[in-house]
Amino acid sequence: MGGKVDQSPAQAARPLVEARSVSKHFGGVFAVDDVSLEVAPGEIHGLVGENGAGKSTLMRVLAGILNPDQGEVLIDGENVAGGGARAALDAGVALVHQELSLIPEMTVAENILLGSTPSTMGFTNTSELKRRAAEALEEINISVDLDEPVARLSVALRQFVEIARAVARHPRVLIFDEPTATLTPAETDYLLEMIDRLADQGMAIVYISHRIPEIFRICHRVTTLRDGKHVDTVNIDDITPNELIDKMVGRELSGDAPVRSSRGIDESAEVVLRAVGIEAPGVSGVDLEVRAGEIVGLGGLVGAGRTELVRAIIGADPRTGGDVTITRDGKARNISSYGSALNAGVAFIPEERRTDGLALTMTVADNIALPNRAALSSGSVLRLNKIASFAKKLVDIVGLRPPKIENEAGAFSGGNQQKVVLAKWLGREPKIVVLDEPTRGVDVGAKAEIHRLVRELADNGAAVLVVSSDLPELLDMSDLIHVMRDGAVVGSLSADEATENSVMSLAAGGQVGEAK
Amino acid sequence: MTASNVETAAPSRSNTDNLAPRSAVVTGWLADRGIFVVTAVVVVLSAIFVDGFASLDNITDVFNRAAPIGIVAAGMTFVVISANYLDLSVVAQVATGAVVLIGVSNSRGLVVAVLVAAVIAVIYGAVNGIAVGVFKANAVIVTLSTTFIGLGLLRWASGGSIYFGSEGTLIRRFGTFEIGPFPLSMIALVLIALLLEFVLNRTTFGFAVKSFGSNPAAARLAGVDTARVVIGAFTFSAFGAMLGGFVLGAFSNTAVSAMSSGYDFRALAAIIVGGTSVFGGKGSVLRTLLGVVFVSILTNLMVLSGLGFGYQQMAIGGLIVVAVSVDALARKATR
Repeated sequence: MGGKVDQSPAQAARPLVEARSVSKHFGGVFAVDDVSLEVAPGEIHGLVGENGAGKSTLMRVLAGILNPDQGEVLIDGENVAGGGARAALDAGVALVHQELSLIPEMTVAENILLGSTPSTMGFTNTSELKRRAAEALEEINISVDLDEPVARLSVALRQFVEIARAVARHPRVLIFDEPTATLTPAETDYLLEMIDRLADQGMAIVYISHRIPEIFRICHRVTTLRDGKHVDTVNIDDITPNELIDKMVGRELSGDAPVRSSRGIDESAEVVLRAVGIEAPGVSGVDLEVRAGEIVGLGGLVGAGRTELVRAIIGADPRTGGDVTITRDGKARNISSYGSALNAGVAFIPEERRTDGLALTMTVADNIALPNRAALSSGSVLRLNKIASFAKKLVDIVGLRPPKIENEAGAFSGGNQQKVVLAKWLGREPKIVVLDEPTRGVDVGAKAEIHRLVRELADNGAAVLVVSSDLPELLDMSDLIHVMRDGAVVGSLSADEATENSVMSLAAGGQVGEAK
Repeated sequence: MTASNVETAAPSRSNTDNLAPRSAVVTGWLADRGIFVVTAVVVVLSAIFVDGFASLDNITDVFNRAAPIGIVAAGMTFVVISANYLDLSVVAQVATGAVVLIGVSNSRGLVVAVLVAAVIAVIYGAVNGIAVGVFKANAVIVTLSTTFIGLGLLRWASGGSIYFGSEGTLIRRFGTFEIGPFPLSMIALVLIALLLEFVLNRTTFGFAVKSFGSNPAAARLAGVDTARVVIGAFTFSAFGAMLGGFVLGAFSNTAVSAMSSGYDFRALAAIIVGGTSVFGGKGSVLRTLLGVVFVSILTNLMVLSGLGFGYQQMAIGGLIVVAVSVDALARKATR
């Protein structure tokens, strides 16, 4: 239980950093909605919540990277909101990013002082650069060659260089966003001790993590966000891990039971998709089966390897090991490439619809015709009338609004764009449907329609594999849920067993026992 | 309808979309239809105010000069739409086309010349296309290099000599043949543009090129063979350049390796001024045709006004900067 103090520093001193009623929305969706947060000097303040709860957005507002739509950010009593990253940095706020933001070709020392490189008359002052980089590394007690290009360091060491970079700015407020996601247990221990030490020196620390045990190990207080809203801030001693997970998923589970479309597993149905020993970057040895008419959900936290797994299974990204077979009408085919997966009847709805799913500058009709172009042409000449009627029929099925097939795909809202992506693939009457975050950034109405369409596909005999970070969605849709952590499946739950708590516990790896 | 009802509490996405700033609407419109209006205005004003512009001789001359560049640009349009910037190696290909047409047909006959040119076009398409499409090398650098290789080969093979067509040959007649008031080169330009427009808009290959240019990742996930698209685009570009070289060689009845300098940039000017987006995915061969006519008229006006080659260069350079900026602004506005 390391350096945890009995008396929370929060009660002793006035806050060093304070967010007051901060709101931030992207498009029509509030990422952060009227959230307040205070962190005292010397305090380690945990910040938890499901994927998309608004943690990272809130921290980017604190660090001045995003301007809040409403609210204030006070550093030592002074409002810095709207001043940009420079103002926040000058006021002493530093953020250790979730995604590494180092420049691989540059040396350790250059990376640490990137953006504040010491110079004399425009020339880099190399000795001063190295002195200050060494100082920052010493402060976090890491020893690494200053002249080594970052590309040659291990992922863990890069993470520590990232921290040294933040520390080199002598911050008073230090924000960690999922710092242990890529670390081994020993490295994590080291990091947590380091954070403890920094707090003892009087820094105010915000610590974001999905890993519940870490929160209980080092934090003094913990704030929970859910759907962009502030749920609760409590002293760590006043809460148990189970209660914290309840707050994170926190939907009223009493009263009306949620209506679920999921059902049991039909053992007699044919196994359509079988993956054995899948190995890929971020995925280690996963076996998976999906039967005809069944929706299998993949749960887990961001970075657990779910997207990597499904892309490796269907060959959208290369896999380093494992075999995939698709069985249709009693005939098994080996899936060795994405092309062979398409030929075997796979439809893939990717995670990033704007970069992977749609050609935004092309019309809805063109987007729908693209994967179906062979069927919509004679020889290699496109049949425009056929394309138009085909697209019309499909946008009616998916309920595109407005149903204008001649409009550019980029002109539609997120939910309607996703319907176009679905329409593209529905036209092929797919036998295996793989969906990665099918309703991210999609409004409630469109979401329900997408769920209905996917269930219809399964009812018509398709084998469906769905990745979702939206827990209620995952529970609602899936007949069987596999939960992934660190690239492996750590548990499987049938529709009856699965609850938000049981999925979350498996995903976060908290020793919280069986949920009721 | 349910969607918008549910969303009322939060600021609706579709509302913000509809409230695009007026400047965005203007740049979008300009990028989309500007060329039609500008060409029409320039033609009308020139016909009224510039002596000699509206004469049949002058108009024929404009098209005669536009034809080789127009045919090159029509083929290169495929490369631009596939979001691979441009094919600089057309410079080497046009010269090769002209030298092969005159040089080879002088010694071996026209049929052999056409076959040799076709083989060379396929090789250019394959080399450029494989480097860019399979190895993902940068198109500008690859085609800059193949220009060098191609011109080097041509100088080596031709010994640097100038070729002249013999009097009375088919080529000589082709260069001067007219159907009614229209020179054959102009008819060739229009027919090739129409054919390529059909390929681009009405065939699965053209469709794949556009999709790939609009979003390569989405095209790949929809089962498009992306390497084939890029190789195909560069092959069309090479065939366009070879034909452009034929027309140029027939028209001038001479062929020399240095005759096509500046064709890369002039073709690009026609494509971009026509409104095909350098970001890929959007454009048409007919727009390129319009672009080349516009650039030719502009050049013609300057010649008629006694402005020299230096001024013409400046004008075309300036025109591209404006057209590319409008293209970029329009793209930003619609994002």
